[in-house]
Amino acid sequence: MKKSLYLTSSGTLSRDQNTLLLELETGEKRYFPIEQIGDIHCFGEASLNKRLLEYLTQQGVPVHFYNYYEYYLGSYYPREHNSSGFLTLKQAEHYLDESKRLDLARRFVRGALQNLQQVLRYYAHREKPVHPMIEGIAQVEAQLDNAASVETLMQLEGQAREMYYSAFDPVLQNPDFAFESRSRRPPANRLNALISFGNSLMYTLALSEIYRTHLDPRIGFLHATNYRRFSLNLDVAEVFKPVLVDRTVLTLVGLRQIQPEHFGEELGGVYLNDEGRKRFIQAWEERLQSTFQHRKLKRNVSYRTAVRLDLYKIEKHLIGEKPYEPFRAYW
Amino acid sequence: MYVIMVYDVNVHRVAKVLKVGRKYLTWIQNSVLEGELTPAQFARLKRDVGKVIHEEEDSVLFYTLRDAGDVRREQMGVQKGEPEWLV
Repeated sequence: MKKSLYLTSSGTLSRDQNTLLLELETGEKRYFPIEQIGDIHCFGEASLNKRLLEYLTQQGVPVHFYNYYEYYLGSYYPREHNSSGFLTLKQAEHYLDESKRLDLARRFVRGALQNLQQVLRYYAHREKPVHPMIEGIAQVEAQLDNAASVETLMQLEGQAREMYYSAFDPVLQNPDFAFESRSRRPPANRLNALISFGNSLMYTLALSEIYRTHLDPRIGFLHATNYRRFSLNLDVAEVFKPVLVDRTVLTLVGLRQIQPEHFGEELGGVYLNDEGRKRFIQAWEERLQSTFQHRKLKRNVSYRTAVRLDLYKIEKHLIGEKPYEPFRAYW
Repeated sequence: MYVIMVYDVNVHRVAKVLKVGRKYLTWIQNSVLEGELTPAQFARLKRDVGKVIHEEEDSVLFYTLRDAGDVRREQMGVQKGEPEWLV
């Protein structure tokens, strides 16, 4: 399994000795084995040149950039190497055909809602008062079949999310990490900062994995395809966010591994500082690498692989081999 | 699989072997590299190393373990290199 390289310190990235070299501001040189790198995440100030981009294209390594406030800036997405005209046509067909698009979008939302409930059930087992939220989400799920448009599906998903977030305070019971309400751009409190950061990582994870398949990240189904954005990765992220992002956030806060001193306040928003960011990334990577017993494959599979497997399932759905059944967490 | 590569080669080829090794593994200290590889990557590493060494004179050893969890490593003195993915 290829690894992600996270750069939070500043320096110069270059191709040297036919591999990847990072020269830190201190003058220290670090070589990274290019063969082991699946993607690169740049948080600090990185200098790089076209020669490096050429090399990364040749090796098929996407680079994701984030700004000072941890917002996703964009990606260097190397030339498609796995593109398949047939699959691209199928993907476009499923977008253009209203009923096919609606069917696929509904599957994404159903997967997301089931995983939301699964996360809450996990906390219900730990005697947290979250049963009303689970029931609320189940009621929303029951309405999915009647939704006649993608917009309605989005609204239902939003409703379920809202109910789900209302469970955060009773689960954590930590005044330092009160949820209040979801706020973005900028996140108004610590919990929101963590969720936003985790979501950014989730979107880029999905994008990196899409790069390894034949799918085109520009054609999403739940999230409308527009003129510039990647959107398929947002669809896939929706299914995995509860299991990967929210569980990471709740675990870090619950185990007190992230503390109030790991945040800073800037421009009216709350952001993770360097130490907080490192802790989050570490926990995030551990979760992605952790494995579970796959029910069909009958072998241990990491969560990162699970994302890839879902993309293959989407491919199969598009070519009409087998309807897409989103990843479902069983604990 | 987790691979530990150690080499003892003619001084003319030390840099060449290091260069090949760095593509696949993380430098740990002089003449020692290690890291997690797939069987295919391991085969390519061996192929690439084979191209630069002289069989009659150089020696390169590969220790393989099932995965990183199998490695027990103790260290004395300074740390020179370490596989790291968060910098």
